Amino acid sequence: MRSPFAYVPRREPLQLASPGAAVAYLGAIVTVAFLYSNPLVLVAAGAAATLAGLLAGARGAVRAGLRLGLSLALLMVVVNALVTSRGETVLARLGDWPLLGRVDVTIEAIVAGLSYGLVAVASIVAFAVYSACVDPDRVLRALRPLAGRSALTATLVSRLVPVAAADAGRLRDAAALRGPGAAAVGKAPLARRLLAGSLDRAVDVAATLELRGYSLDAPRARNRRARSRYDRRFYAVAAVVLVTAIAGKLLGADDFQTYPSIEIGLGPPTLAVAAIVALSGLAPLKRPARRPAHRLEVARV
Amino acid sequence: MSELAIRRGAAPALAVEGLGYAYPHAAGRALEDVSLEVAPGEFVLLAGRSASGKSTLLKAACGLVPHFHGGEIEGEVRVADIDALATGPGELAAAVGYLAQDPETQVVSTTVAAEIELPLEMRGDAPTDRARAVEEVALALAIPHLLDRATDTLSGGELQRAALAAALVTRPRLILLDEPTSQLDPVAGDELIWLLRRLNEEWGVAVLLAEHRLERCLAAADRVVAMEGGGVGFDGVPADFLAWAHEHDHALTPPAARLFSLADIDPLPIGVRDAKQTLRGMGIGHPPHQASRRVPHPHPQVLQAKGLWVELDQGEETKDVLRGIDLQLRPGERVALMGRNGAGKSTLLRTAAGLHQPVAGKIAVGSIALLTQNPGDYLVRERVGDELPGEQGMAALRIVGLEHAIDADPRDLSGGERQRLALAIALAGRMEGEQPPGVVALDEPTRGMDRSRKEDLVALIEQLAGSVDFLSHSETKSTRGTAVVVATHDVEFASEFAERVVLLGDGVVIADGPMAEILVGGWYFATEVARVLDLPGVVTPEQGAAALRGEGG
Repeated sequence: MRSPFAYVPRREPLQLASPGAAVAYLGAIVTVAFLYSNPLVLVAAGAAATLAGLLAGARGAVRAGLRLGLSLALLMVVVNALVTSRGETVLARLGDWPLLGRVDVTIEAIVAGLSYGLVAVASIVAFAVYSACVDPDRVLRALRPLAGRSALTATLVSRLVPVAAADAGRLRDAAALRGPGAAAVGKAPLARRLLAGSLDRAVDVAATLELRGYSLDAPRARNRRARSRYDRRFYAVAAVVLVTAIAGKLLGADDFQTYPSIEIGLGPPTLAVAAIVALSGLAPLKRPARRPAHRLEVARV
Repeated sequence: MSELAIRRGAAPALAVEGLGYAYPHAAGRALEDVSLEVAPGEFVLLAGRSASGKSTLLKAACGLVPHFHGGEIEGEVRVADIDALATGPGELAAAVGYLAQDPETQVVSTTVAAEIELPLEMRGDAPTDRARAVEEVALALAIPHLLDRATDTLSGGELQRAALAAALVTRPRLILLDEPTSQLDPVAGDELIWLLRRLNEEWGVAVLLAEHRLERCLAAADRVVAMEGGGVGFDGVPADFLAWAHEHDHALTPPAARLFSLADIDPLPIGVRDAKQTLRGMGIGHPPHQASRRVPHPHPQVLQAKGLWVELDQGEETKDVLRGIDLQLRPGERVALMGRNGAGKSTLLRTAAGLHQPVAGKIAVGSIALLTQNPGDYLVRERVGDELPGEQGMAALRIVGLEHAIDADPRDLSGGERQRLALAIALAGRMEGEQPPGVVALDEPTRGMDRSRKEDLVALIEQLAGSVDFLSHSETKSTRGTAVVVATHDVEFASEFAERVVLLGDGVVIADGPMAEILVGGWYFATEVARVLDLPGVVTPEQGAAALRGEGG
């Protein structure tokens, strides 16, 4: 079974953009998530990443990213609620716990945990969209002139990860198919077997790379698909998002305080930053093909 | 051979002289004093039993031996006049392409286009030249529609073509192929062989093809080189090879040639067309083919599937892999499950073994042992006895004939023994005393097997099935014995072990009947003897020879 995060080539703007443009665009969304703690802006960043993924056709990756991000967010809320007793509004007094000491669950601690969780959700969804929409081959090709050995290692790893995942699935099936009279297979022998198999696979993949001429010192030609007509759009949106985020930060758009009591700034700067960040999720929108205006006239001629 | 005439005077595509080689830490030598030459534009078939040195010779011709594998080497290997022992595989890639058996480890890029383009990029070719070369090789191999596909979404056949395209994109003078059809269904396998022949004729690429299923490619070859114990046992034209194989190694004789030798007809045919011409010359006609009928399924049954639908998640989408399958198996039946890649054979067996749950319909099976396509996946310990402890383990070892190997390391066993050990692991604890479970299922067990190993497997299947005679399909037969169901692409193997064939197509049963009826009258899912004679019920060389002797008399 394919991983929902696996790259799927599609004729969509985000997939067609150069790796630099796609990284700049998604990176701008992640930067906002790490710069801000205001839940409204963080929700906007998460919405932008989700929208971008959906418009790029990476529904599976968005779904899996949201599932993973929300699980992590829930964990952060629970942990923060248990380990932080600051805040004025106590919801429950849970007494003394080993290691944690006195545990008072406050609304402020829950909201603070939620803020951290939203950062995780936005970042994970953005990384999921990156993983499903940006061709790792093109990223590695871009890196190869800068760091040949690292690119070779990354190429081997990027190929071995799906192969090892498939091998692990097969080994799990074989373990399930063993007769009840055969020795039970623990996780350790399975892991050892997977590792040994991966080494064999690595040798095979390395042999293929050798045959493809990876070890040659020939001059690297410029990549054919280095640029795309969508690059400018993604760079521009990334720049707008970053400038807006920094300006907003300076103008107090990140007005958010959890302790001792919750104060969320919802002034015009915050609303403007949230709106611009959320709208940036529309960047991968594909414009409908323009109909040639002279088509009928040509037909008449 | 016209291409040879055109390119006469050019250096040989491959020249090997006195080649000897031993892998690092190996007890024996893999190659011993090998000398051969492949002319430009020649199509050479490399025959031989398992471990006879075919793969090692191909690796020496592309530079992987010794540059990648190490070891001790002597002699001379020249590819298009380049010294392969002094030049690495990367530099040799311009002159020689290599396609190994397992396509999964031969792709290193995420998309087909990137995979094909990679060797040119490594060579430093200009983007426009790369674009044109990728387009041309994609057109030649009929895969332009695959260029934008992710490599991990391709079927085995598609992946094999993508890897072949990457090997051909540099326009090499020689292409080396190591059992490229072993994982392909008969349709994809035949397509690949004739694609190679077309490339050979139109592009002038010399082909050196190692293959076990000689009946698939003998007719396409200009010459045959047979390897024996690391050396060259025979080197000559296909017609002479058949005579040599008949004398020296019966396991290398294709079915049509075996048919003729059993029927005392000369000369031995190198393919179906050749055989038909000879028979026409003898005035032997072909009665019309009779349509197959379904086998009746009297009770009791050891497996019963009714309206079985199975849906599999394939990443971004789900697919109905089985669509309303009805199937019954009786005790002691030997059934071949056939069909194209992706037809649903493996999914059906895995569903019977409980690895998949049906979304509709039901499947009832008492006790089943399933051996999947990679027996090595079952072997996780370093001693046979540790894999199969206790009396149940010993009983399973006895039934596969490996009780003597209890202290051996599974890695020291031969390929056939490892397969039997894996089967014993699947059987252990599912047996009633010394009796195997109700159903034993094997998924593609003959990949990479030579004929002698297949004969051993047929004997094991017959032993498991309890040698119950179901050939007449009467309802008075014994109800004991294990039903053995084997998913296979190997039509000749199916004709040797099966009494019934179930043919799947796109998740549905498209034919179900006695083997002697199903494997006759088609083109892809028919044995070579059936294609030669087209006689109802005649699928094996022995049956064919008997029929010919009857007609002749």
